Amino acid sequence: MSVLHKDTPVGFELPTIAKKFRLEDFKRADEKTIHTDYEAAAREGLPAPVAIGPQVAALLFRQLRLCFGNGWIVGGKWNLSFRRPVFVTDFCVARGVVAKTEQEDGKLRIHCDVWIENQDGNKVIAGTASGLVPLAA
Amino acid sequence: MTTAKARVLEDAKGRRATFDDIAVGQTLGQMEWQITDELIDLQCQLDQDFDPLFFPQQGGKRIAPPQITYRPPRWLISRAYNVRGLFVGWEMESFRAIEAGTTLSVSGKIIDKYVKKEREFIVFEAEGRDAAGHLVFRTRRIHVLDFVERSAPRSEAGIDSGIKPEKI
Repeated sequence: MSVLHKDTPVGFELPTIAKKFRLEDFKRADEKTIHTDYEAAAREGLPAPVAIGPQVAALLFRQLRLCFGNGWIVGGKWNLSFRRPVFVTDFCVARGVVAKTEQEDGKLRIHCDVWIENQDGNKVIAGTASGLVPLAA
Repeated sequence: MTTAKARVLEDAKGRRATFDDIAVGQTLGQMEWQITDELIDLQCQLDQDFDPLFFPQQGGKRIAPPQITYRPPRWLISRAYNVRGLFVGWEMESFRAIEAGTTLSVSGKIIDKYVKKEREFIVFEAEGRDAAGHLVFRTRRIHVLDFVERSAPRSEAGIDSGIKPEKI
């Protein structure tokens, strides 16, 4: 059962998905990367290892899969900006709100404003996403 | 350990691509990528998403999360240029479910490059098609070449590289 449906109003707040990341979440084999190694990050001018962007954005993808179900798998769209680095031990929470709806090929496309905040309340990823829901009840 | 005030000139995999090296309009070639059960397992583990859509019971068709498509376009860039930097923009449209066992043909192209806030950005597009030629996904990515501003000299020795093993 998807969270969003044809009668979901504009302004509806999407369920939040949160995670406290750990450096270990980004390790692959023994490779030293900007995601796992302080020196490798420093050589790139970064104060600490940064999280892998798509792994952080995955909080939004879980949220949107929950909201749209199959209407996310087929018909899902997103446009995200990674506005500032997420560091590997940051806490992040995915949030979103229904922005508008429009009919599309016999279904309803629900557009959402979505973002991820870090532990300081800064929007580290922000953008839009949409998926499809049936028009019939 | 001090944070660099220079940009990376070279890393373990060779010289970094510079802004001038990047050719707008260049095609990035094509790659075949099979979506196996193991890849779906790994993607779901990374994303901590274990929805029954991805782990069907009672013999249902298994599908992959759409974001599993992140990597092949990045690998195509890495085949052409040694770009590390940071991933800063991601547009994506999912047109078809990606079933386990599907082989995707992924191709890409560099469509733009620009300078903003003293940093250098590249924009590339990619699409994936199934064996029947159906469009499965289309994506546009933006990548900043360096975290350090472009006014800094390119003289640092890097550790990490943009050239990665082509696996999740």
